[in-house]
This record gives sequence, C-alpha cells and structure tokens, in this order.
Amino acid sequence: MTRTLRTNPEQNASGGLWRSLLLAAVVAGLVGVAFAQKPILIGVQAPITGQYANEGQGIEKAVKLIAKQVNDKGGLLGRQIEVQTCDDAGQASQAAICARQFVNAGVLAVIGTYTSGAALAAEPVYARANVIQTSDGTSDKLTQSGYETFFRNAPPNSAEAKFTAQYLLDGKHYQRIAVLSDHSSFAQGLSDAVVNEIKQAGGNLVYTGFISAGSQDYTAVLTKIKSVSPDVLYFSGYYPDGGLIRAQMEQLHMDAAFVGGDANQNVAFAKIAGNAAQGAIIVNVPSPENLPFPAAKQFLADYKAAYGEDPPSIYTFTNADGFRAVIAAIEATNSTDPAKLMDWMHGMKDFQGLTGTFSWDQSGERIGSPFTAFEVQADGSYRIVYPEAAAQ
Amino acid sequence: MDVVLQQFINGVTVGGFYALIALGYTMVYGVLKLINFAHGDLSILAAFIGLTVLTSGIGGADAGALLVALAFVVAAALVGVAGFALELTAYRPLRKAHRLSAVVSALGASMLIENGIMLIWGPQVKVFPANLLPHISWSFGGASISFVQVLIIAGSLLLMAGLYFYVHHTRFGTAIRAAAIDQDAARLMGINVNRVIASVFVLGPALGAVGGLFIGLYYREAYFNMGWIYGLNAFIAAIIGGIGNIPGAMIGGLLLGLFNAFAAGYVSSSWQEAITFALLIAILLVRPTGILGERVADKI
Repeated sequence: MTRTLRTNPEQNASGGLWRSLLLAAVVAGLVGVAFAQKPILIGVQAPITGQYANEGQGIEKAVKLIAKQVNDKGGLLGRQIEVQTCDDAGQASQAAICARQFVNAGVLAVIGTYTSGAALAAEPVYARANVIQTSDGTSDKLTQSGYETFFRNAPPNSAEAKFTAQYLLDGKHYQRIAVLSDHSSFAQGLSDAVVNEIKQAGGNLVYTGFISAGSQDYTAVLTKIKSVSPDVLYFSGYYPDGGLIRAQMEQLHMDAAFVGGDANQNVAFAKIAGNAAQGAIIVNVPSPENLPFPAAKQFLADYKAAYGEDPPSIYTFTNADGFRAVIAAIEATNSTDPAKLMDWMHGMKDFQGLTGTFSWDQSGERIGSPFTAFEVQADGSYRIVYPEAAAQ
Repeated sequence: MDVVLQQFINGVTVGGFYALIALGYTMVYGVLKLINFAHGDLSILAAFIGLTVLTSGIGGADAGALLVALAFVVAAALVGVAGFALELTAYRPLRKAHRLSAVVSALGASMLIENGIMLIWGPQVKVFPANLLPHISWSFGGASISFVQVLIIAGSLLLMAGLYFYVHHTRFGTAIRAAAIDQDAARLMGINVNRVIASVFVLGPALGAVGGLFIGLYYREAYFNMGWIYGLNAFIAAIIGGIGNIPGAMIGGLLLGLFNAFAAGYVSSSWQEAITFALLIAILLVRPTGILGERVADKI
C-alpha cells in the first residue's frame, strides 16, 4: 500500500509534478475558503471578577472548552467558533455595557450571565438586536417580559417547589404529608410554595408548622406531628436543624419518611443525624460530580483535564447546556440566522443536556427540571432516586 | 394519653437542662443579687471542652463510658475554674460599684466567652461523635424514652438533690445561706464571705457545665452562640421558680420544659417562644417572687 502511494520521480516524473501542482492548488483553494469564512462569534457575559468571580470563570471555561472541542472537530458549518468574554462583575450597570459591546461586535449568541440582576439588565438590549441569550439567572422575572431571545438554562426559583410536590405526589404517592419550616424568609418562602403546589395537585396535607431554628429540641412538635400519622415529613429549613429533626424522628420511633429542601445538603447533615441519616431524602440540583449521565461524566473529566480543577457548581453545566443547545440548533438548521435558530430552540423536544433532558417553552423557560431527589447513604454519600431517568 | 406521656418525657428532658443551668443563676443571685449573664455561655463552653475530650482519642477506640465520664469531670473542672476567674476579674473589682456596672460587665463577659468559643473551635456547627452512649430506647404506652434521656433526667435530679443537701446540711452550705441573708452579719460571725462567693462561682458553672455537656451529648451538635438561648431560658426558669431559691430553680426548669413541650404540642410550635415569654410576664405580674421565691428581685 505505502509503496504505491509514494511517487517515484524516475518512473513518473512529469505526472508526479502535475499531480503535486494540482494538490497544491486544491489545498490553497481550501485554505482560502476557510480564511474567507468568518468565525461564528459567541459572547460570554459573566462575572469574571467580584463576589461571583468563581462562578463566572467557570462559565467562561466551560464555553471555551466546548468551543475548542467543536473547533478541533472542524468547526460548525465549516466555520470556527470564536469566544469573546465580557466581565459584568455580577452588576446590572456593567451588564448593560457588556450587552452593547456584544451587539456591536455582532455576536450570534451570548452565554451567561450568572446573576439574575445582570441578566435582566442585558435582556432588552439583546432582544432588540436579535441576539440569543441563555442564562442561569433564577429570578422568575427573566421569562416574564416576553423576549423571544431569552432562554433560561437553569430552573427558576419556583422550580424546586414544583419538583418537590411532583416527587411527593407522583413519585412516591404519599397520602398524608406534613410540612415543617423555620421562620427564615428562605425556608418560609420555599415551604409556602411547596404547600401551594401540593394543594394545587390535590395532595393531602395533614400538618403545617414551624420550628425556631437553633432551638435544638424538636421532640415536642415532632410528637404532635407523629400523632397525626403522616407518611412523609417535608422540612424546608437548614441542615443543622434538619439533621436534628431526622435524629429525633428516630428517637420518637416515627415511621414517616424525611424529605428535606436544598439547604439540607451539607456533609454535616449526615453527621448530626448519625445513625438516622441513612434513608433521608434531600431535594436539590445535583452537583456536577453527582450527575449520572455519561455525557456529563465525560464533560466533567474533560473540564478537570483542561483546567486541573472542579467546576464551581452545577451552573457551569447548565450554561454549557445552553451553549450546546445553540450549537445543536446551528447544526440542525444548517444556518446562523438567529430567527431560525430561536424557532428551532423553542420547538426542540427533549434535548439531551448534561443536566438532564429539557426543552424550552415560548417564554424561554426551561421545561425539564435538573432537580433530583437523592437518598443519604450509610457512609454519608448521596444516591439519586428520582426522577427515574437520573436514578443510578 | 400516649401523646401526653411522650410530651411529658420531652418536656422533662429539656427541663433538666434548664434546671441545671438555672441553678447557677439562682445561686449567684442568692448571694450577690447579681444576674450572671455569662452563665449560659459558661455552660455551653463545657459542651466544647467535652467535645475536645471526647474526640481526643484518649483511651483508644472503645473507651466508651469511661471517656464520657472523663469528659464530664474535665468540663466541670475547667468551667468551674473559668467561673472563678470570671468572678475574680469581672465581678470582684465591681463589688462596691453600682449594680448596673456589674450587669454590664456580665454582658461583656458573655460576649467574650461566646466569641472566644468561636475563635477556638470555629463558627461552624460542631458535631459530637455517634455511638458514644448506648443507642437504646424503651417504649411503653405508645411513648418512647432513650438511654440518653434517662441519663439526663436521672443525672440532673441527682445533682440537684446533692446540691440541696450540700447547701442545707453541711457547714459550708450554712455559710453560703448565711452570706445570702446578710453579708455583713456573716462576716461578723467569722465567715469568709469572699470564699463563699468564690465557691458559688465555681459550683454554679460546674453544674451548668454538666447541663451544657448533656446538651451536647443529647443533640450531638453544638454551635458557639447557643449559650444565649439556653441562658435566657434558664434565667426564665430561675425567675419562675423564684430567683435565689435552689429548689425553685429545679421546679422552674422542669415546669418551663414541660410548658414548652405542651405549648408546642397543643397550641402552636410557631408561637412556642412567644408563649414562653408571655408566661414570664404573667408570673412577674401575678407573683413577682416566683413560685417558691421569698425575696423580690428588685436589685436590677
């Protein structure tokens, strides 16, 4: 094989020369085309400095890593992806400047930003210029302005309550639900939302009440709850109290399952609950290393190999998902026309994201929550138990 | 009935903590007419000292009960010393000053101890090792009680009975009572009042230390600023029972624990604290001297 491919100058001198010239012309032509094709411009608007610098740098690193992977495989539609970053420092004023800068540069899509306030400030600028924006901002307001250009890649604030009610009612079919909260605005807001969702879905609430966070002894209120025999107790507060509640439930021989809100996710929860920790359920977005999907595991490995560190949070991955959806849209429509891409993105069904399967509704709200319910194991680690698609 | 019984057990357990800590308040008040606001923090300091002993690995992996006993001895001794040091530095120099100065000094000492705990052990929740004490519980009549709860209830009742005997049936106890009635007269009778006061500042915090370490062992977590809420509840317990009166502190502590449990169980857990403080106001209005109190708490 190798022999026949090699040109033999003595045997075939003139033919070889012609062939070489032709090859050179073709190569030159191809290179010329590649140079003529402008790269696809993608903006990263993120807090590279300031309080959320860690998160912002994670978003930038993830986007650059994906762009490099795509470019190494020959780019998109024969074009390279070029990533530009603008630091909004997590502030609305700086975000508006970033937005104008990106619009002037002619970017196709902007990935980020991390904070809701900065995303909100940039939103109308991108909308007027027809620039696709995908952010993890959790403020419910982001999808309420009717901008076609906005796509939220993370769950909004209201998603945890929706998912929790879904887990309790559809996942576990609990018939008698007790809800406990502390007096903090966070825990109270979450428990109110969960109670509303349960009521709307027709669930049966047998108890709702409060503890004083930090008062340590919850046996009295738990005895009261035990007397109405719930099959599950949901607690929306923080882990120091959640761990104690779980331990004191066991002490009182309560059979009810324990389901805790996201503030219960802390290594200390299992330590405080001790022997009772095993079997407790916590609802939260998974951290990147707990994502069960092969694509997520691969991306996590690539990220660690490229940067020698762990991604700061799940939001690195949701923003990566936003970017991956934009890439999928370009490939599927074979176009970089924003209108076509947005049409495709609004209509796409069951996109296989790193953070789970999702689609977008007309307001740009992510349908398909990355929330999971995970069970605390005997060694304090977590195992995802719901939704089934994510369960290991 | 099973719920009533369970709430009774819940209440007596918490009441035991309150009573042990309330004893320190009431002893100091009885002799000095001073509310030692640093007392709650001293008690919680014991939980942290105990935690250090329990996690030190002394005696190997299966030291178990002996290690727990050692933790109690070390915590009570060190907190007793701390109480004595507090008396020497924060209160004795102000003995002749206006009473308000001593109260402000007590509040300062409280913050000093609280933040000292934070600097030494850190601001995070500290968790006690599991399985230090047998993980046994008994069920009867639909209610359950655990080994730790039995230990707490029995331990606090024994200590309270011991203290009562010491104060009422020993020579030094008589000296304490004499100093409580009239310091000048006691001094004229040849009693070393400063020694009496110092002993009260060692005994009270040492008893509070036992309560603090019980709290740590029972809930298996401790955080640096929890002395305030336990101190406040114990203070209320002391007032309910009649401040300055030792059996009163015991009765006040147990009553407050029971009252808390039944308020949370039968009225509303959200209103538990509001109801507790309403009770305090009601008792001060109806019976300012508390249930067993003889003197009116008029000095601060």
